[in-house]
Amino acid sequence: MSLTDNPVQSSHENHSIAIDAATLGRLATRVRAGGMFLCSIDQAAKVSSFDTSADAFYLKYVLPQIQSPGFPLVTTQLKLIDCVPGVVIAVFPVIDRKQTVSTFLIAARSPDFGISEDLLRKCSQLSLDATWLAQRASSLPANDVGQITWHTQMIADALRDQMRVSEMRTEMDSLSNQLSNTYEELSLIYQVSSGMKVTRRPNDFFRQCCLDVMSVLGVRGVGVVLRSESLKQIEPAIYGEVELPAGKIERLADDLMVELRARKSAILSNNLAADKRFGWMGEFARQMVAVPLMRDEQVLGCLFALDVENKPDGFDTVELKLLTSIANESSIYLENAMLFEDVRGLMMGLLRSLTSAVDAKDAYTCGHSERVALLSRYIAQQAGLSEAAVERIYMAGLLHDVGKIGVPEAVLQKAGRLDPAEFEQIKKHPEMGARILRDVKQIQDIIPGVLHHHERYDGKGYPLGLAGENISLMGRIICLADCFDAMTSSRTYRKALPLDVVLTEIRRCAGSQFDPVITDAFLKIAPEKLMDLLKDHRQQMMRYSEASQLRVA
Amino acid sequence: MAENKRILVADDESHILHVVSLKLRNAGYDVLTARDGQEAYDLAVAEKPDLLITDYHMPQMSGLELCQKLKQDPSTSGIPAIMLSARGYHLEPQDTEQSGILRMLSKPFSPRQLLATVNEVLNRAA
Repeated sequence: MSLTDNPVQSSHENHSIAIDAATLGRLATRVRAGGMFLCSIDQAAKVSSFDTSADAFYLKYVLPQIQSPGFPLVTTQLKLIDCVPGVVIAVFPVIDRKQTVSTFLIAARSPDFGISEDLLRKCSQLSLDATWLAQRASSLPANDVGQITWHTQMIADALRDQMRVSEMRTEMDSLSNQLSNTYEELSLIYQVSSGMKVTRRPNDFFRQCCLDVMSVLGVRGVGVVLRSESLKQIEPAIYGEVELPAGKIERLADDLMVELRARKSAILSNNLAADKRFGWMGEFARQMVAVPLMRDEQVLGCLFALDVENKPDGFDTVELKLLTSIANESSIYLENAMLFEDVRGLMMGLLRSLTSAVDAKDAYTCGHSERVALLSRYIAQQAGLSEAAVERIYMAGLLHDVGKIGVPEAVLQKAGRLDPAEFEQIKKHPEMGARILRDVKQIQDIIPGVLHHHERYDGKGYPLGLAGENISLMGRIICLADCFDAMTSSRTYRKALPLDVVLTEIRRCAGSQFDPVITDAFLKIAPEKLMDLLKDHRQQMMRYSEASQLRVA
Repeated sequence: MAENKRILVADDESHILHVVSLKLRNAGYDVLTARDGQEAYDLAVAEKPDLLITDYHMPQMSGLELCQKLKQDPSTSGIPAIMLSARGYHLEPQDTEQSGILRMLSKPFSPRQLLATVNEVLNRAA
C-alpha cells in the first residue's frame, strides 16, 4: 500500500481521525527529500503504508526487515530501534488533542553505516548485493539519533499542521456549501417576491413561482394546490417532467390537503411507494416534499416538489427549508391578494348598486349599464387593449349613466318626444356623472369615459363638442356600446330594431358618430356574444314587467 | 464536459470566491481565483483561462475595465466573461457586448444558475 494512495485511518476507542492521502503524501515527500523513509503503522502494529517512491536502499533493505514478523513496532511513545544494521529507526505516535492520531516509523541511514558481519548476514537473507547496498547508502545523507529524533518532532508538528489545514479546508467547503444554499434561497426569494404584485392572478403568480423553484431545486416536478373560498379557485397544477394522468392531480391535491390540514407542517417522503397515504403516487414519482401555504393558522394549500435530481438520498432539509421560505413568501402574496380581492369585490358591489339605482329609474333601461359595460369590454378586447385597460373600460361602462340620478324620472320615462328644455336636462347627465364620481379617488381615470360617452367623432356631440382623438378612448368605446344597446332596446316611442339593421346603421355611422377604428373592433365581435346581450335584455324586461305587475296587484 | 476547462474567478469578497470555486470545482472545472482586478488581469494573461467570472465592483480595477483590458490584448481577447453585479445595477449593453461579457448575473445569484450559465457559455465557446 502506498502512502499516497489511500487515506490512512487510525481509531482509538470511539474516536477516529482521518489523515487524508494528500497530507500523508506531502509528508512522505518532505521526509524523502531529507534522504529518509516514512511508513505509517496501524493499530495491529503492522506497516499500513509507506513511501513507494523512496530510495531502493529503503525499499529493498529496510522495508522487508520492518515488515518481518516480530519487528517491534508497538509503542506509546518515541522508541529508537537499532536492529537494522547501519540504519537508525524511530517509531513514534503522533498525539493530537490527547488522541493518538497515528503511529509512524522513520528510518535513516546511520552515520556509522559500514559493511559489517551483521550487514552481510542480512544481505544474504534478503538476497542483496552488499556492495550495491553500500553504494546506495553512500548516496544518502547520514542522520544520527539526535537528528532523527528532531525529525520525528518535525513530522509530528507538520502532521498536526496539515491536519489542521485539511480540517479547515473541509470546514470551509462545508461553510461554502451552506452559503451556497443560502444564496440559492435568497436569490429565489428575490425572484419570487419581485413577482408578488397583488394585481397578478394567483394562477400566473404560482406558475412562475413553481418554475423558479424548479430551476433552483433541480427537481423533476413542482406543483401547487390552492383551496380557498375567498380567492378564485385555481386548478391544482404540476410543472416539470413528472406527469400525472387525468384525475390523479386532483387526487393528489385532495390527499395533500387532508394530510396537511391534519398535521399543519411539512410532508417529506423519500420513499413514496411505501407511504401510507401517498403510496399510489409511487408509480409516478419516488420522492416528495410538500409545505403548507398558511393564513391565520389555516392551511389554504401547499407547494410540493417531486423527485430531486443528483441527490441519491433524496430530499433533505435544504429543499425543505427553501420550499418553506417560498411558501411563507407566497402566503404573504396570498394574504395581499385576498385583501385586494375583498376590497375589489366591495367596490364592484357598491358600483353595481349605484348603477342598479340608475337603471331602476327607467323600465326601458333596465340592465342597460351592465350590458354597455360588457359590450365595451368586448370592444376594448377586440381593439387589443391591455387586460387592465379592458377592466377599467368595463367599470366606466357600468357607471356611464350614473349622472341620470340627477335627471327627473318624469323626463327619463316620458312617452314620446322630449321638448328642447327636457332634452337640455337629459344632456346634463354626462357632466353630472363626472361630478358624482369626482370624489372617488380610485376611479378618477374612468371619468373621461363617463363625461365623453355622448360626444360624436365628427364633433357634433355633447356636452363639450369634442371631435376625433380629442374624445377619450373610453368615451369613444362606450358611445358605440351605448348606441348599440339603445337601438336594440324598445323605447316608449319605438320597438327594438333587428340586429342586422342595427349593424348596418353602426357601419353607416363610422366616421361621423363613431370612431372608425372602434367600429372595426366592434364589428369583429362574435355575433353570439351580441345575441347573448340581446337575450339578456329581453330577460331583464320580462323580470321588470313581472315585478311591476306584482306592484300593481 | 467540464474536463480540463479552466475558469478564473475574480471577486474581492472572499465568501463569493469560496462559494463559486467550490461549485465549479465540484462540477469538475479547474478554478483560479483573484481578489482584485489587477491580480485577475495578471492571472488571465499568464494562464489564459477558458472563462472569466468577475465581479463588477473591485478595488484597483473594476470588472468592466478588466474585461475591456483583456479584450484589447489579442492573446486574451477571446476569453468570454460572465459578470456579477449588485442587484439593480445596470450596465450599458454596448459596454458589455464590446467587452466580451456574455452574461450578467445579479447578486445574490443562484450558484446553481451560475453553474448552468457557465456550462452553457463554455459549451457554446467549444
